[in-house]
Amino acid sequence: MIKNVLTHIGGVEVYGIFSVLLFFTVFTVTLIWAFRLKRTHLESMGRLPLHDGTPTPASTTSNSSLPNSRHE
Amino acid sequence: MNVETFRYDNKIVRAFAIACVVFAIVGMFAGLLAAIQLFYPAANLNLQYTTFGRLRPLHTNAVIFAFVGNGMFMGIYYSLQRLCKARMFSDTLSWLNFWGWNGIIVAAAVTLPLGLTTSKEYAELEWPIDLAIAVVWVIFTVNLIGTILKRREKHMYVAIWFYIATALTVAVLHIVNSLEVPAGPWKSYSIYAGVQDALVQWWYGHNAVAFFLTTPYLGLMYYFLPKAADRPVFSYRLSIIHFWALIFLYIWAGPHHLLYTALPDWAQSLGMIFSVMLVAPSWGGMLNGLLTLRGAWDKVRQDPMLKFMVVAVTAYGMATLEGPTLAIKSVNSLSHYTDWTIAHVHTGALGWNGFLTFSMLYWLFPKMYRTKLYSVKLANYHFWVGLLGMMFYVVPMYFSGVTQGLMWKQFTADGFLQYPNFLETVIRLLPMHRLRAVGGTLFILGVFMMAWNLYKTAKAGNFLADEEVQVPVANPEHSHGHADKKWGHRWLEAKPITFTVLTVVAILIGGLVEIVPLYLIKENVPTISSVKPYTPLEVLGRDLYIREGCVGCHSQMIRPFRSETERYGEYSKAGEFVNDHPFLWGSKRTGPDLHRVGGKYPHAWHYNHMEKPESTSPGSIMPPYPWLLTQKLDTSSLEARIKALRSVGVPYPEGAETTAQADLKAQANQIVLGLKTGLIEAPADREIIALIAYLQRLGTDIKSAAVAQVTPTPTPTP
Repeated sequence: MIKNVLTHIGGVEVYGIFSVLLFFTVFTVTLIWAFRLKRTHLESMGRLPLHDGTPTPASTTSNSSLPNSRHE
Repeated sequence: MNVETFRYDNKIVRAFAIACVVFAIVGMFAGLLAAIQLFYPAANLNLQYTTFGRLRPLHTNAVIFAFVGNGMFMGIYYSLQRLCKARMFSDTLSWLNFWGWNGIIVAAAVTLPLGLTTSKEYAELEWPIDLAIAVVWVIFTVNLIGTILKRREKHMYVAIWFYIATALTVAVLHIVNSLEVPAGPWKSYSIYAGVQDALVQWWYGHNAVAFFLTTPYLGLMYYFLPKAADRPVFSYRLSIIHFWALIFLYIWAGPHHLLYTALPDWAQSLGMIFSVMLVAPSWGGMLNGLLTLRGAWDKVRQDPMLKFMVVAVTAYGMATLEGPTLAIKSVNSLSHYTDWTIAHVHTGALGWNGFLTFSMLYWLFPKMYRTKLYSVKLANYHFWVGLLGMMFYVVPMYFSGVTQGLMWKQFTADGFLQYPNFLETVIRLLPMHRLRAVGGTLFILGVFMMAWNLYKTAKAGNFLADEEVQVPVANPEHSHGHADKKWGHRWLEAKPITFTVLTVVAILIGGLVEIVPLYLIKENVPTISSVKPYTPLEVLGRDLYIREGCVGCHSQMIRPFRSETERYGEYSKAGEFVNDHPFLWGSKRTGPDLHRVGGKYPHAWHYNHMEKPESTSPGSIMPPYPWLLTQKLDTSSLEARIKALRSVGVPYPEGAETTAQADLKAQANQIVLGLKTGLIEAPADREIIALIAYLQRLGTDIKSAAVAQVTPTPTPTP
């Protein structure tokens, strides 16, 4: 069907090859980056969401310090 | 090292949360009503405003942009402040974001039932609202980036990267896909036509799913899941790979919505390959989420919030395995246009977005109101009712989709279509449609339970509008340690602007590689000399087709399969759509394809069919459109429409607008004469006349030429 409709788009095969090569380059660079990161850094980054800051006396009744098991 | 005291803004989070719950009910109820109409058409209440074609975009927009949109802002405004250890950049911008976004939703809720639509899926809103969306999105982005810049935390946690990618990509997608020329205060024509319009639309449509329904929610998963499980994410390293691989791959996959259409083959293959590759980062993210719960599964038993979260992440995994499967051309040839797609999107919408939003709401309300959840038991009921609802929705839709797909393709031993009457394949599905409505009802019931539970929680608690906290702080801009000077991801995490630029580059490459050939296609779509612009009456008829949302149930794209050419006629060619602003290929066949309907039936058949579909097609679930027979055709903006169409490239000769009214009347009179031969007396100035004109034109251009003349195309050197 495509033959009848859109026969020739100049150099179209290059787009597919370019895109796949580009992805593998990006992916490889990301992998190298990720694996070169230090364990201590990764651990501290992973823990980031667990600390919201220390509630001040004005907010002490906030349950941000309470355990999740407040759910009955 | 100083200690700084500041306040998190919970008020804005609460506002988005309330809007989220309200629009969950509205959006899902619209969906339920639409679902009921698919086995009981009278559920349209005999009103044009609540008929399926207009209700469906209302449902999709309400669920995506109102329910999930508000849920996304709720989660981002809560988590971003805490991850940045800073209040939002500007309270004014926060509230402009809230009121602007919800004002847009109200505008959508008014305009879509009125039939003011562009017809492009998930981008139906007309141009004044499109402009408002752009403004509000910029406000959100400035607030987001501003908060990141004034953060007290040196590094940007992975959730923030997902938020940045969301903000930037949605802006690019929305602007490119919404380029249109106004033809009045509430009417516009896409600047793209036919194949180009289809490719841009599904580049947008696919990435709306990717960057509106997925990336922000992945960010939220990376924040709220560790929070609820009280342990860090399983692998932070994996989250880095997840992010970059996902945003890089997603943007390329749009063409999988157009497999076997008139889109060039290379673009289809590119879309398919990138879609299949997408399964890897998606599953990396899902496993990262689920493995975060290692050693904490006992909590899942006790905490309904975690239950919702686990099902959400699992649904994400299921949907992202199914998506690449559906993007394989051979699978897609069966699944496309059927309820299988509906099942697929609802695994994502109900499971991933729905359950993750419920999870966040159950977690946030007790926190912000400093109390316990009103009833854990009720939340558990909600979980099971919701899960059951999801199953009752999704499973029948799979059966329905596969059944219909197979019935369309079934030939007898003699080589004839086994089910030549399309309606037969629809009636077979009705039991599944009924079950789906049961599933939807259960799901909404669960949302009501949640709304009540959250209301009672709020009532019992004491809202903490400004949460005061202290953090030890070292200014991130002045505290780069030696290690951070190295060129690496750690350095990048402390550089929001560089990070943002790289993200934009990643998404633009994919977009550009698809869009550059798009312009090449424009030069190369073989012109079919017999394809001419629509006549003035047909233009208005086409606009009525758009207004009524016919494209929601009828495709105009016959795929090159024998099962389709036998049923509908000659397969659709790209050159036939060069004057179609916007394209109306559709994505679902609840009714038959209409691309070759022109000349298939007499005018009177269409007249009777629109008045009462069952009179011509017994058992049809198409709603009646009696108002088309009585409402006068509005021709006041005809000239403006012709001019607008010319400005987007339709080759109307100069002065065509001045003779348009006379041409319209002449053609209308011809149709009235034709109706008389079917013993129907109809005034020439009614809407039905224009619609008949358009339907009778559909797909006839290549029939009018004895041999469709395809001009050879010059091959540009690469």
